[in-house]
Amino acid sequence: MMSRQRFWTECALALILASAAWQLRPHSTVTMGADLPATTPEMFAENDSEPPCPNEHPDWRAAQEIEGVAIDAALECEPDNPYDIAVAVKGVEGVSMRTLMQTQFAQDALTFGEDMDGDGDPDVVHLKLEVVELNGASPDGEFVIPGYRIAPGIQPAIWAFAPKSRDMALKNFRSTEAIAMLRAPSPTIRVEQGDKVYITLENTHYLPHTIHLHGVDHPWRTANGEDNDGDGDMPVYPGESKTYEIQPRHAGTMLYHCHVQTDKHLQMGMSGLFVIEENRPNNWLQTFNIGAGLVRHPSVAVRERYQREYDLLFQTLDKHLSAIVQRSNDPRVIAERMNRDYNITESLEHYYLLNGRAYPYTLRDAQLVVNSDEAIKLRVGNMQNAPLALHLHGHKVTATAQDGVEIPQALQLPRDVFDLATAQRADLLLSTVNDGLHSYGPGLWMFHDHVDRAVTTDGITPGGNMSFVAYQPLLNESGMPKDEHHAAMINYAFSKSYYNRNAQHSLWAKGEFTEALGKVAPIAPDYLQLMGFGLSLGAALGLLLHALTRGLMQREETQ
Amino acid sequence: MKRLLGVVILSGFSTIAMAMMDHSRMVMDEHGMIMNANPSQLPRDCREIFEEVHFEIRAGRQHAQKFPGRMFAFSAQQWRVKPCAKLNITFINDDPIRHQFMLHGLPGYLYPDGMFHMELYGKGQLTASFIVPSQNKTYLAHCEVPQHMEKGMKAQLIVGEGSGDLPSIPGISAAARADAYPVAWSEWSVLSGLVAVLVGVLLPWALERWQRPSRR
Repeated sequence: MMSRQRFWTECALALILASAAWQLRPHSTVTMGADLPATTPEMFAENDSEPPCPNEHPDWRAAQEIEGVAIDAALECEPDNPYDIAVAVKGVEGVSMRTLMQTQFAQDALTFGEDMDGDGDPDVVHLKLEVVELNGASPDGEFVIPGYRIAPGIQPAIWAFAPKSRDMALKNFRSTEAIAMLRAPSPTIRVEQGDKVYITLENTHYLPHTIHLHGVDHPWRTANGEDNDGDGDMPVYPGESKTYEIQPRHAGTMLYHCHVQTDKHLQMGMSGLFVIEENRPNNWLQTFNIGAGLVRHPSVAVRERYQREYDLLFQTLDKHLSAIVQRSNDPRVIAERMNRDYNITESLEHYYLLNGRAYPYTLRDAQLVVNSDEAIKLRVGNMQNAPLALHLHGHKVTATAQDGVEIPQALQLPRDVFDLATAQRADLLLSTVNDGLHSYGPGLWMFHDHVDRAVTTDGITPGGNMSFVAYQPLLNESGMPKDEHHAAMINYAFSKSYYNRNAQHSLWAKGEFTEALGKVAPIAPDYLQLMGFGLSLGAALGLLLHALTRGLMQREETQ
Repeated sequence: MKRLLGVVILSGFSTIAMAMMDHSRMVMDEHGMIMNANPSQLPRDCREIFEEVHFEIRAGRQHAQKFPGRMFAFSAQQWRVKPCAKLNITFINDDPIRHQFMLHGLPGYLYPDGMFHMELYGKGQLTASFIVPSQNKTYLAHCEVPQHMEKGMKAQLIVGEGSGDLPSIPGISAAARADAYPVAWSEWSVLSGLVAVLVGVLLPWALERWQRPSRR
């Protein structure tokens, strides 16, 4: 028998224990007394740091002559395959089988016709482009294929035009890495003013695409009345082929891009520079500049005025858009999610690419390697979904042309920030004459888009479209800083975990700053308090249950 | 090496007899290429060619039409041969873009990188042969143009008993990493579910009622 008094006593005790439990409840954070928690210096995981330069093809860097084509030295870590350049200059039929075998060009990728003006170079050009998806989905497992890293551990899906290739798309059967020719951005295409150019789009991709020649003189319709403007409403469907025909009368730096569902396809990476060079005698051009960057066989006109020429293409990617093609392998689902679910007006760009890569990988193939007292030509295209504020540290550069149109001499002013709206181009003269205006002297000077988020990779800095104007004497033989102190300053970014938000690292925990800027040591939970909390809460519940059940039973009995 | 490569029939529309360039184990011209063809050399474990078979393998968009949600495919998704068979493959590309018939896993001493490869840069056809070893094995055949295998252009060559189906072959095997599709639930589906729950709740009472007379 339970007395009324005992019932109430148990209830009161339960209440007291419950309030004790409340006092002892565990917290996710604690405040400290006079002494703050200790510091642990947490450094990067050793295993995922990579060598700044993998040095796969050191033989590709030297100045050389292949098939009679003079190829300038490229003193960077990862220059283009010089055999690709020989084929890009002479066409597949103009090189030996031995040379062609050193490349992965298909045997109909680039062919030249007659020399119409009799000035010693071919004036009929037929080039073929395919569409490749980098870092695409695979139904065979949790990996992306063919793999292409924009920065350590970062593999968003990218679509790019690529010269028609042959054979393996992967480095070997056991690898999922793309071959060197399959990369971002789409190659810069170079033709001569007045050339008859046939551009065939062979759509190897699983969605429709076109080629729109932005700013390039082209007739609206082909000779037989078909679309020649790359109109998105008249796309080239998967497995189909279409040839665009042009004979550009005006020279300059232009663009090409896909015009199907433009808000998605441009942000997937489908753009490249299209350069029309002035017509000169014996002007054999490097028709493809794989991955943009240094032009190792510049045109006659460029050689007259400049020591070097670089193509620089700025692009942005939206990680949510990219993820659509990685999440599903069904083209129907991909098309619907892209064209109906994705909304660009509610989205932002996450990756800022310079020639298809983000810092620190831009140091491998998108440095501007220069020497003192040189004139360097930069062809800059902004294909970002945002304005570009191009800033070169240590230099003031001069725009000589904008959107492919020459700027009158009197208006050519040196500036240290060049703003380019989306799809605009500028031809810049970078002078390395140390006069305190054009150059402040040798250095490893950064250059980047000065819009703050553009120097991040998905919000992690340093990243994005940053690279160096690198004076050659300051670089080692693999194109990385010679000075060890400087090398250490960049090496930490060559690490997967640096760009992984979930892997926490203290950036500045070095030497005497370890205690002040390191990582706060984890605070051990107070188990005594936890036990007290558990016991009092448990006892409170137990007592309450006991009192209630006993009380009820007693009621039934008395009835 | 020419002897090894045997007779290579070139695509039909080239009227000029284009001599395909012979580069070690490879022949190529502006229409396509063949790598590691082997019409005569026996694998070490074969005393003789056990059977000789001819396959016409077509590649293209149209062959994927019978598989919803795939973009490219071969005309067949699997072929069966006996151990030590000689295969004469006529590879036909029905599209004006590039397709490949790339076979992996062959013995490296006869086929460098374990590969037998035929590739057509556009519409056309090629013929080449190779001989398989005696072991029971399933070989991967695919097109390595980016996303072609992933979007359907994948098949298997089963020698003898084979060694099990490869994943993600249209109409033959499920994907290792399969897409999940939404189920089209409606008000009626919810209602049916609720009715089922209600019936379930009433079931004990119904059973009790039904059993009561027998207890008496």
